[in-house]
Amino acid sequence: MSKIMTTQEAITRFVNDGDFLFIGGYICRPPFAAIHEIIRQKKKDLTVVRSNTADDFDMLIGAGCVKRFICTFISLGLYGLARCFRRSIEKGIPHKIEIEEYTNLSLPLMLMAGALGMPFVPVKDMVGTDLMKIKSFMGDNKYKFIDSPFDGSPVMLVPALNPDVAIIHVQQADEEGNAQMWGIGGDCKWGANAAKKVIVSCERIVSREVVGKDPSRTIVPGFKVVAVTEEPFGAHPGYTPGFYDVDFSFGYLYQQASNTVEGFQAFLDEWVFGVKNRTEYINHYIQKFGYEQFKKLWAKFDYSYPVSYAY
Amino acid sequence: MSEHPNDYIKPELMACCGAREIQDGDIVIVGTGFPTMSANIARYTHAPNAKLMQESGVYDARPLRPALSVGDPCLNPGAAMIGGLVDVMGMFLQGGWIDVGFLAGSQVDKYGNINTTVIGDYNAPKSRLPGSGGANPIGSLAKKVLIISLHDTRHMAEKVDFITTPGYIDGPGSREKWGLPANTGPSVIITNKAVLRFDKTTKVAYLESYHPDTSVDEVVKLTPWKLEVSDNVHETEPPRAEELKALREILDPFRMIKIYEKRGYV
Repeated sequence: MSKIMTTQEAITRFVNDGDFLFIGGYICRPPFAAIHEIIRQKKKDLTVVRSNTADDFDMLIGAGCVKRFICTFISLGLYGLARCFRRSIEKGIPHKIEIEEYTNLSLPLMLMAGALGMPFVPVKDMVGTDLMKIKSFMGDNKYKFIDSPFDGSPVMLVPALNPDVAIIHVQQADEEGNAQMWGIGGDCKWGANAAKKVIVSCERIVSREVVGKDPSRTIVPGFKVVAVTEEPFGAHPGYTPGFYDVDFSFGYLYQQASNTVEGFQAFLDEWVFGVKNRTEYINHYIQKFGYEQFKKLWAKFDYSYPVSYAY
Repeated sequence: MSEHPNDYIKPELMACCGAREIQDGDIVIVGTGFPTMSANIARYTHAPNAKLMQESGVYDARPLRPALSVGDPCLNPGAAMIGGLVDVMGMFLQGGWIDVGFLAGSQVDKYGNINTTVIGDYNAPKSRLPGSGGANPIGSLAKKVLIISLHDTRHMAEKVDFITTPGYIDGPGSREKWGLPANTGPSVIITNKAVLRFDKTTKVAYLESYHPDTSVDEVVKLTPWKLEVSDNVHETEPPRAEELKALREILDPFRMIKIYEKRGYV
């Protein structure tokens, strides 16, 4: 059964106000087409989760879509601290989000536990630090500290997470949603498999036969997927290995814009509300910066050797 | 006896100090900037078999330009293995395989605790910082942790505003009490003025060497805790010719390291 639809339809049908969302990717494959659509549809009261985050989550926070954020790290990397996130926490603009803080070890393992159907998972980090003292909306369920039933040594347990919806961007998927990814993985595979429903955004839709030529690359099986959207350049200004590079100058543009509330609003008006979909976004990019600049982002070709699964 | 060209800048000296902490065959988890430069200087000089990892999931990358984040596109082609956070932070770091971790912080204290969460009160922050990311698990679980810091009273403290990443926490016995693995913890603080190590008994950072343009007195004055001075205190060895050659000719031909001068590493 084909699950191919537009991003607009996928977000309308499968993302509700108040949902708990995993959004995959960090610089590598952030699903920006879907993120912009969430902002366009003015979804609100979302709980969002991912390990390392950047401009993508900052934008959702600045646009007022986020109520709660299960986080480890947010910054604009090379361009410094995340402006909308800081305004929210320091000044309550547009409102103060609630944050529950973990680390890049504990949070991925909480998603893994969710994917594996485990109630919680022991972790060896966070102990002895102020991360234990700060508890927000998860309260005493942020973690539990016990003596190991096996050898009596102290063990921290953190709860499994099962988001309502995961949104990921991958290189290719078939019409049923078998999603194939390569390159830096972050917590994408576990976050997607922990969720009850998965929206797969991809650079290209391929046939089931193409998927079957290299099935080890599939990170989410079609049966978990509710929507497949084809969004070339869907991760811009992030990158997709084999397709296009990071757009550093656009990252700078976002940082400059998000320095002020007015600048951030103007950015949204131009790049999110000012376009109907990703095609218009790319066209606007080309009109504004020129085709040469757009073409500079394209990846070179450097194919791996073909693999054979034959017997 | 090595040659020591005298045209180096301070960030180059700091990168070389980091490199000298790495032994051949070490598995090193790096972020961007100093850690990558240090680990690569080591690879091109005394530690050809050291292997680098990024927390995002990359092992033994072969980047053709300096990586600007742990998710940088240039880390993909040529790597020996790419997985994700569960692979590197879970299987390799928590699994106990990482020899060296590099950390930087907005604030570091005398026990090597690091703050990357908040300046001021957590609930009413003066400045909200990015958060732990991979820093806390690296500080908790890497066998040897190298800390990079600016040497002034803003970036160093008797006690950090918020312990994001554990050094020796409250002092002797703290890491053991919390069940952190034996023989882990911060090993050195490399600043733009000096190299500090941790006293085996008190777990407080003391002065091991001061950089060529400064002095014991200056470093003591700039340090916000009562800085003990090693009996063997000496001037930091300047960058060796072969270290600078690796850095300038292979690793950083565009001298991007100069941006650290603008950030105060002078």
